[in-house]
Amino acid sequence: MARRPDEEYDYLFKVVLIGDSGVGKSNLLSRFTRNEFCLESKSTIGVEFATRTLQVEGRTVKAQIWDTAGQERYRAITSAYYRGALGALLVYDVTKPTTFENVSRWLKELRDHADANIVIMLIGNKTDLKHLRAVATEDAQGFAEKEGLSFIETSALEAINVEKAFQTILSEIYRIISKKSLSSDEPAPASIKEGKTLVVGGSEVNAKKTCCATS
Amino acid sequence: MNPGVYEQLVIYETSASELDIIRDISRTFPSHVFFQRRHGPGQRSLYNVLKAYSVYDRDVGYVQGMGFVAGLLLLYMSEEDVFWLLVALLKGAVHAPMEGLYLVGLPLVQQYLFQFDSLVREHMPKLGEHLQEMINPSMYASQWFITVFSYSFPFHLALRIWDVFLHEGVKIIFKVGLALLKYCHDDLVKFPFEKLIHALRNFPEDAMNPDTLLPMAYSIKVSKRLEELKLEYEKKNGKQAEAGGRQKQQTPKTH
Repeated sequence: MARRPDEEYDYLFKVVLIGDSGVGKSNLLSRFTRNEFCLESKSTIGVEFATRTLQVEGRTVKAQIWDTAGQERYRAITSAYYRGALGALLVYDVTKPTTFENVSRWLKELRDHADANIVIMLIGNKTDLKHLRAVATEDAQGFAEKEGLSFIETSALEAINVEKAFQTILSEIYRIISKKSLSSDEPAPASIKEGKTLVVGGSEVNAKKTCCATS
Repeated sequence: MNPGVYEQLVIYETSASELDIIRDISRTFPSHVFFQRRHGPGQRSLYNVLKAYSVYDRDVGYVQGMGFVAGLLLLYMSEEDVFWLLVALLKGAVHAPMEGLYLVGLPLVQQYLFQFDSLVREHMPKLGEHLQEMINPSMYASQWFITVFSYSFPFHLALRIWDVFLHEGVKIIFKVGLALLKYCHDDLVKFPFEKLIHALRNFPEDAMNPDTLLPMAYSIKVSKRLEELKLEYEKKNGKQAEAGGRQKQQTPKTH
């Protein structure tokens, strides 16, 4: 079962991308995993999946990210993907107040279906649309503090803060996991074993995926 | 059919889904020449049909995925005809009603995935076992059913599948799905998780050649098992499955 060096990792963290339809979840994912942004992207039907391996706090972490369809009707399928997720990126669109107002509903959704200690990060996406901004940074910041979430604003289009958002949530997960494994004296924390069946071979995110030109 | 009804739905009624539909219009076949132009005729027709349907059937309303079905049909007929064809498909004028694919809880998607999962294990035990350890069919097959292969398959293949779909109903989706897995079987059984999930969402070009894929699909018999698995699913899930609005195949609903 020798893995090639580029596929070796210390930790496998499962993260879900959630939030209203059209806030840019799929493009945040493609920006993070392939450094691509697709202007002509299709709405996500069901779930999408991608991974990236990166250094977090000096460890090699493989982030396994599930991108879900945002429309409420799809929660019948997508909520199953919250199980075993160590992190959730809850995305809204800074130009669409309703997508921010719905954040509380998404939090409830996580409380109902996800593990209790899931790390949640609130992301205000599309900051490139400066003239259309309708959700103030301070409002979202305040909300995030009240709810105990980390918070960041991003632009998947301009590749601003996307890396940082993922780095932050993965570091946070790492800190929790490593604390846990210290106290429980176990070599690998139980929560990571979620990924145990997913012993991964060829993990290169294949570049031949359709989509469109990188920008 | 029903003169004036479509026009009434498009022009005079309002739908709670209007914003949802607008948001998705430019995200439906975004690179197809007919739908590419912002507010062009393609996008306008697509909006009208989806809006009309969401008013016509407020329980279904608008669900992502319907746009791909409507969009594909719009390439071949007028928007009014597309609307009535959607009505016929969802309400089950000829075949089993499709509306359960889109109703709250997506009951028919869940049933079809259950049936498909069982069929995979019966037809390809080795692959079934391999998949079962890590892959759930909702990870790759929900869009096959929700959009009848129009979401991510090349048009020339989707159209051939649609010809059969209109003629004999949902069975062909199962058959084509099984044929795809069969065609790639020897690779799939070897792949670990990530490669597997990628392969199941991006079939190679040669697998998607309709002239080889469809004959293969036709040769797979599923009707009897589908019936049995449906009963099994309903038993397992009690009456909740009924909410899917599935009637007996033979009873067309009139509207």
